[in-house]
Amino acid sequence: MEPEIGNFETEMNRGFLQILVLALLEKEMYGYSMVRTISDLGYVVEENTLYPLLRRLEKNGWVRSRWDVTEDRPRKFYGITDAGRALRTQLLAIWKKQDEILKHLMEEQTHV
Amino acid sequence: MFEKLEAYLEEISHFLSGREEREEILSEIRSHILEKAERESGPLTASSLEKVIAAYGPARRVAEKYLEGREIIAPAYRRYLFRYTALLFAAHTLLTVFGVLFKEDFIFFPFLFMPRLGVIEALMYLPTAFLTDLGIVALVLIFITQSKKDVKLPWPKFSVDLDEVKAPKKTFWNILGLIPMLAVTDFALYLYVKHHTIFFANLDFANPRPLFTPDAGVRYSVVVIAMLAAGTVALLVKLFTKSRWVDVGSSVVSLALIGLLLRQPFDHPFVVSVPERFLPKIKFGLKFALLFIALMVTIDLIKNLIVIGRKKLAR
Repeated sequence: MEPEIGNFETEMNRGFLQILVLALLEKEMYGYSMVRTISDLGYVVEENTLYPLLRRLEKNGWVRSRWDVTEDRPRKFYGITDAGRALRTQLLAIWKKQDEILKHLMEEQTHV
Repeated sequence: MFEKLEAYLEEISHFLSGREEREEILSEIRSHILEKAERESGPLTASSLEKVIAAYGPARRVAEKYLEGREIIAPAYRRYLFRYTALLFAAHTLLTVFGVLFKEDFIFFPFLFMPRLGVIEALMYLPTAFLTDLGIVALVLIFITQSKKDVKLPWPKFSVDLDEVKAPKKTFWNILGLIPMLAVTDFALYLYVKHHTIFFANLDFANPRPLFTPDAGVRYSVVVIAMLAAGTVALLVKLFTKSRWVDVGSSVVSLALIGLLLRQPFDHPFVVSVPERFLPKIKFGLKFALLFIALMVTIDLIKNLIVIGRKKLAR
């Protein structure tokens, strides 16, 4: 029987989504365009998860936002800040380390 | 066409109540829904909007994602809610019992005012007192959580640790308790049917002498038999279920019956001659014993309610 991974996936996605968003926002983007870009990359993000995450990142000073009202419809654009870049570097280092540990462990187990 | 969207946003707004950036959140969601509907289904229609709204998720779930990490009471302090309420309520109950016994008002300015209460009033007052105590403790824990300080809350070792409250007794012990209870209840019923009282001044069953006058004997006997029957029924029900609600029900019935017993007039109830000067002392002694039983039953009632509450909270 296949194990139910829904909750585990949600837990894992939480951290991954933060890095993904910080990586994407090197270029200014608004919510819907981010959902589309992420979807084109082969990953699915729930819209109702993305916006609260953006708000939390903004509150902590890792992203900034501005409303663009020049088009027919007002859009809120987000971009990364210097603090966000520093955070992204740290998070990527953690992720890399975790990936190395898992790879190393799996390799060891394959050779046993 | 936009009524559904506005109604949806209104619902999210309701659940976001209190968030200062509410309007901005709603504007962003509105912009997203309109753009998605337009881009993915062509010109806006009521049905395309409805589809996008459904995909965005239920309003409460959407709002809750913005509220994550904003705990009213931090998880580390939650268990203190019932622990401290239990302590506070125990003190409150004790003061109520003193108030009833000594017919005095108690004032601990500005925290507590206990008016002089009769027995029934005291029994009616206790549930309100419990809710008040729960509210006060909850308020303190909310303030501590909101202060974001790492406050280490004390918990005395000598108190009843509700984490250690054992599960309801197993069926074997229930049966063992049920047998004498059934025997005592049946015997009391037998005595009552035969003699219209269960209280006697001697132990000569061939020629028993009632302790109380016929009226008082009937009144006291009926209440005591009802208490015994309530206990027996509770034990019987517990053979089939381990729910603590059975104990709660049994305690409530017992408290009501004790209240009824305390309300019975106590003017010369004895058939045997008792010196007049002893009567007030006997009355005080009986009242004290009944109030002590009421206190024990109340503590058991609170313990069960708290354990039920904790289990619900944990779930």
